[in-house]
Amino acid sequence: MSKRYVMVHDENRCIGCQACSVACRSENGVPEGVTRLQVRVEGPFGDAPHLHFKYNRVSCQQCENAPCVTVCPTGAAYVGDDGLVSIKEDKCVGCMYCVAACPYKVRFINPETKAADKCNFCKDTRLARGELPACVTVCPTDALTFGDANDPSSEVAKLINTKATYQEKTHLGTKPRVYRIPTKRGGIQS
Amino acid sequence: MNNTWGDMAQYDPVTWNWVIAVYLFMAGLSAGSILIGIGLRWYSKEKAIESAILKAAAIISPLAITLGLACLVFDLTKPFEFWLILVNYNFSSVMSIGVLALLLYSPIGIAYSLIVLRDELTKRKLDFLVPVAEALMPMRKAIEVVLFVLAIGVGAYTGFLISAMNAYPLLNTAVLPALFLVSGLSAGAAANAIGALLMFNTHSHDTNLSKMHGLELPVMLSEIMFLFMLFCALYFKGGAAAAALASLTTGVWASVFWVGVVGIGFAIPLLTMLMPSQTRHSKGVMIAVACCSLTGVLALRHFVIYAGQSYIS
Repeated sequence: MSKRYVMVHDENRCIGCQACSVACRSENGVPEGVTRLQVRVEGPFGDAPHLHFKYNRVSCQQCENAPCVTVCPTGAAYVGDDGLVSIKEDKCVGCMYCVAACPYKVRFINPETKAADKCNFCKDTRLARGELPACVTVCPTDALTFGDANDPSSEVAKLINTKATYQEKTHLGTKPRVYRIPTKRGGIQS
Repeated sequence: MNNTWGDMAQYDPVTWNWVIAVYLFMAGLSAGSILIGIGLRWYSKEKAIESAILKAAAIISPLAITLGLACLVFDLTKPFEFWLILVNYNFSSVMSIGVLALLLYSPIGIAYSLIVLRDELTKRKLDFLVPVAEALMPMRKAIEVVLFVLAIGVGAYTGFLISAMNAYPLLNTAVLPALFLVSGLSAGAAANAIGALLMFNTHSHDTNLSKMHGLELPVMLSEIMFLFMLFCALYFKGGAAAAALASLTTGVWASVFWVGVVGIGFAIPLLTMLMPSQTRHSKGVMIAVACCSLTGVLALRHFVIYAGQSYIS
């Protein structure tokens, strides 16, 4: 695995416009009622007039140590050569062990294929053509950055190395590959 | 209120529902029932006659696992492709290991049942199965030992299956497999008692039945101890794990726990032990107590599945 695809979500730049979510739906043909990607607007936090919101990206974290892959009985959930956690639809029986085991709750059963589904960084479509994932391309504020963190000259590597970032639920040992740049607004927290 | 980011239905934390709780109950019941049946046979001096308890276990155990597996298969989103799980294995998955255990356990359990029930087969017009039972007879000891070991595996596996999910502090504990194994034993004993009393008309003072009755108190006490250990572990771990203790005080699953598991499952059977021996050993009371134990174990599986998935770390 020479590549290490990561995504950085700058929560300062994000405005919660949902363009990414719409682009994802159209690019990946995600059926009604289910989503691969949500940006939840949480808050407001702080005291008026200094209010701010938190924009929480909810999508597959592409864990390096993915619980969904460990628990999958048939090997339908697997880590590809590119390091991305993917699903072999025809091998999935729909036991929902992966849906239950995912600490980020981002897996769902696709109502059309009846197989488990989730974000795969547009691996089969845009990434295969050498393009960026749909959500990254469409973001009007450039809140999303995507690339190979193993390449020191890449934009993501520079971002991770220079900005303060955090990942969700690192205490579970999953090593998520979605990095977040926290909102800096608001008061000093004790 | 509507939100801009869309439907939240898929984010319901409870992925596995009552169908899985019933499966976990059935698998525990099947394993517990045959473990008690075989265990009592090994400890009884009279090995030539099949005891009513063992005969009841020979019916209950394969029936329970079959019904449980039916629940499991029809809970899949692609039930008719369940065979994929039988041909593809991922040994880092507890489910895969369980599938392998069940693949051996189920047919061996049926084979053992034929051996135990060979006399009943003729009575119930199933003569065509008698030659099969006779052919299996010489291998009885081996089948018995293998089945006993596999039953321990199946009983504990249901606990390992859900404790493997480290996002849920209430499930991700080391005592869960042990708790499920002992509560399976108590369900098995209860079901065996009902089977022996109703299907094989055992006298309620039968020696084997009393022996099994003697097991109930230690089994129930270890169940209570494991539950206590489970909640202590959560308390001392702190953080999200300690927050999961709210499952004992809030919501419908707290009621299921206190009424179903503690009240019906533990308190009623324990209180009946205070009754005069004459009443306590009447057929009616024994069956009622056994039904209470079964209800308690079923409630425990539901509590663990639902409350377990409701608290995420």
